[in-house]
Amino acid sequence: MTDSSQGKPNDITFTDVTRTFVRGDGQEVTAVDGVSAHIREGEFVCLVGPSGCGKTTLLQMVSGLLPTSGGAITVGAKQVTGPGPDRGVVFQKDSVFPWFRVIDNVEYGMKRRGVPAAERRDIANRYLELVSLSHVARAWPKELSGGMLKRVAIATVFANGSDVLLLDEPFAALDYVTKHQLHDVLLDLWRSTDAPRRTILFVTHDVDESLLLADRIIVIRDGRLVDDIAIDATRPRDVDTLTRPDMMTVKHKLLAHLGLEHGSRRSAAS
Amino acid sequence: MASDTSMIDGTTAVLPSRPRAADQRGVTVWATLRSFRIDIFGAIGLVLLVVFWWGLTFVVPRSSLPSPLNVFRRIADDFVVADMLSYYGLPETGLMGSMAYTAANVLIAVVVGGLIGTVLGLFAARVPVARAISDPILNTVGTIPILVMAPFFLIWFGTGRWSAVLLVTVYVLVILYLFAQRAAENLDPVYESSARTFGAGTGDILRDILIPGTLPQVLGGIRIALAGAWGLEAIAELLGAQQGIGKIIEVLAGSLDIEGIFAALLVLGIVAVIADWIAGALVRYVTRWSVSARVGTT
Ligand SMILES: Nc1ncnc2c1ncn2[C@@H]1O[C@H](COP(=O)(O)OP(=O)(O)O)[C@@H](O)[C@H]1O
Ligand SMILES: [Mg+2]
Repeated sequence: MTDSSQGKPNDITFTDVTRTFVRGDGQEVTAVDGVSAHIREGEFVCLVGPSGCGKTTLLQMVSGLLPTSGGAITVGAKQVTGPGPDRGVVFQKDSVFPWFRVIDNVEYGMKRRGVPAAERRDIANRYLELVSLSHVARAWPKELSGGMLKRVAIATVFANGSDVLLLDEPFAALDYVTKHQLHDVLLDLWRSTDAPRRTILFVTHDVDESLLLADRIIVIRDGRLVDDIAIDATRPRDVDTLTRPDMMTVKHKLLAHLGLEHGSRRSAAS
Repeated sequence: MASDTSMIDGTTAVLPSRPRAADQRGVTVWATLRSFRIDIFGAIGLVLLVVFWWGLTFVVPRSSLPSPLNVFRRIADDFVVADMLSYYGLPETGLMGSMAYTAANVLIAVVVGGLIGTVLGLFAARVPVARAISDPILNTVGTIPILVMAPFFLIWFGTGRWSAVLLVTVYVLVILYLFAQRAAENLDPVYESSARTFGAGTGDILRDILIPGTLPQVLGGIRIALAGAWGLEAIAELLGAQQGIGKIIEVLAGSLDIEGIFAALLVLGIVAVIADWIAGALVRYVTRWSVSARVGTT
């Protein structure tokens, strides 16, 4: 956290971040428990952990939609106090507004920021082309498939120019092929930007997905940060990358964290 | 999820846009033709009903059931001025003028009651304190048969236009309060969250999320309220008014003029059906983005 890069426009600093909820039965749950970490500018970080470990809660606190109970989150030089267009979110659920046409959805963030109509239409058209959706610019969202709706959501946050992108299991509901196509779409958009790149926090419970995408994988369990693994592999990555011995080691480690590996295999792998 | 015919998946190929535009036009034409065909069925149904009515007149004595032809003739005769009614001191005796009066009252009540009910309903759904106050009041009003209030309104506001309008307004308001509140509660919170991450404030969220997102159910509620409003307005006029279709029916009932009553009722029914048809077309157009709108068009 005391990194020298602190204060850059799109790095994220978590300082002892905690979040508790009071359930309906009066019981207090600690969803996020003392997380401290520093995400560097332009880094692609995957948050991995079993269901209910606090991934969504952590992401929502970065987005500012949910306040912290303790600690602080800083994006760039600013402490997070509420949502803002510097942090774009792709939700797990479909969040494309059904009552706006596709193009108007992609323009929405820019419209709120006061970008002139002609300019934002140009930008929106460009990003729709980059996600191969130019042909449905005037369609209603109900006419699109689930994968296409995710493309719209991704185009929207990129078109809005957010420095930090927060994606909460965006592809969890998609089929295998569509999911892999969207990995490429996302990575291409992220890599095509002129430096500095956007910082990406990508929540997933899919180990292979995190290995294909991330520069760095942060493992959360029971609200705590339990592991932080740098992935040292060039892009583009494919099935062969995943079978490399060093990647297999990481995979075994992640599976163990998810409770899917027996102790013996885990120690043998690491 | 959606119908496969209209779905073109961007993952397979980038299709040229020209044929697609043509496709869409074809779909629109087809939909228009189909709705036209359904209108034809509706017309056939109406004709059958009239034939059935005409058949009944051979069984039922004329004093209880007038023949369709006589009723149609009566509508034509009384359309602008009804001589029979000129003795009763009505400011307006023609069917057209009376119907216009009744329709204006219904329109005022639906617009005013619909607006207030929707605003209160949306407000109650988002502000718990407002809801704590408005829920008991409106739910109580909702459980009282609305006609019970008619005598009180007549005592307080007299037999002018406003007693009837107020009665129908309350009726519409209570329905729209419930519809709007439920629509706002059922709206997925992800849309509001998403808008907030784009920097939308309260006003933006109201305009861009809450109102469009609840519009299909709110307009559905308006249609239901409108359908009920005609009868309620007519009964309110029947109970005490200076003019209107209901007033005409009341006067004619006094002289046992069955034919005249049928003529008045038929005019009211035709106007109500046309109004519902227009409202339905409008609702379908305004909410054409909605998933259920497509189901609703067939
Ligand atoms: N609004 C809430 N009220 C009460 N408990 C909550 C709420 N949101 C999340 N939790 C609890 O916090 C924990 C973490 O939830 P979440 O962040 O959604 O996990 P994940 O996204 O990793 O599956 C869970 O135990 C969940 O039950
Ligand atoms: Mg989650």
